[in-house]
Amino acid sequence: MAERVLLILLCLIGFWGIIAKKNIIKKIFGLYILNSAVVILFVVEGARIGENAPIMAEGVSHVADPLPQALMLTAIVIGVCITSLALAIAFRLYRFANTFDIDEIRRKIRHAST
Amino acid sequence: MKGRKYSFSFVLQVVLSLSAVLAVLLPVFLAGNLWPTAARDYLERNGVKESGAKNLVSAIYLGYRAFDTLGETIVLLVAVSGTITIIAHSGISLAKGFAGAGLAKPGSKSQLIARRTELIDVVTGKLGPIVLIFGLYVMLFGHLSPGGGFQGGVVVASGIVFISLGSKTDRSTQLQKAGVLARLEAAGFLFLVFAALAGILGGHGFFGNPFAGTGASAGTYIVALNAIIGLKVGAGIGFMCVAMLGRVD
Repeated sequence: MAERVLLILLCLIGFWGIIAKKNIIKKIFGLYILNSAVVILFVVEGARIGENAPIMAEGVSHVADPLPQALMLTAIVIGVCITSLALAIAFRLYRFANTFDIDEIRRKIRHAST
Repeated sequence: MKGRKYSFSFVLQVVLSLSAVLAVLLPVFLAGNLWPTAARDYLERNGVKESGAKNLVSAIYLGYRAFDTLGETIVLLVAVSGTITIIAHSGISLAKGFAGAGLAKPGSKSQLIARRTELIDVVTGKLGPIVLIFGLYVMLFGHLSPGGGFQGGVVVASGIVFISLGSKTDRSTQLQKAGVLARLEAAGFLFLVFAALAGILGGHGFFGNPFAGTGASAGTYIVALNAIIGLKVGAGIGFMCVAMLGRVD
């Protein structure tokens, strides 16, 4: 139970980073923390039915479920892709506005379009 | 964020949305359902026999669900090309401060970006090849131990970053040239498509094991796929990092 409460906290920290921080780099970090919380949740859930790593050496039994782990491998790769793309877009916004502050960027875009 | 005063309505909005998310997430996270054991039991009994990989996670993502891995590598390829395109179109002078460290005038703003010490040069330059070898180990032993193509590829990419950080001006290896890494990634994807099609010739289907009837060890195909994916991921992420360091030619 304790690990799930910690995971909810991790999730909320990521969400708080996305909605409350003004710096877009911190927003992207919040997105990645949210992603990590989901990944850890799946691995923790899959490990409830066994405690050994799913590597079938001699005499190993009672292993954790390898299915969520293989699934989360995909999720990790997608998370890295999203983070890199978001960082590149943040870099482009920085080149445009010379700041990472989202309010400032919005103001400059409005200023440029009028 | 120091010294910034948040308005009351902003704080209220944040608190309200956080509690809304909490209300949605609580049942998901605290559900006490039993985790089904059917898939685990089947894999425990038949996984090694059917795929040849002792590491059951490898057995799933390169054996049973290899098609997903192909899609995953396509996503990575698209993300790398998108990132590189966005960076290249917005100019790379931000990162140039790192490469041209000696040119920064003292007291100027770019000196902050260009702060690098002899320590970084020596440690990363010496550590780079060791990290590369460890990445190759993780990649090639992915069917027997924790690891695999993606994990080993990321370690290889960090080795490339170390080598790129360690060399000041002269390029002692081709691995830190962005063009070489881009070609390596494209070649890795081509190899992966060939490896996927190879099984068709022997009548084993798409992503079927082409070594099935030849008497080779059952894990051969998994090792080959791990090596190809590791090459592709290492070159791709290394390419991205080298480009972000401002080393695009």
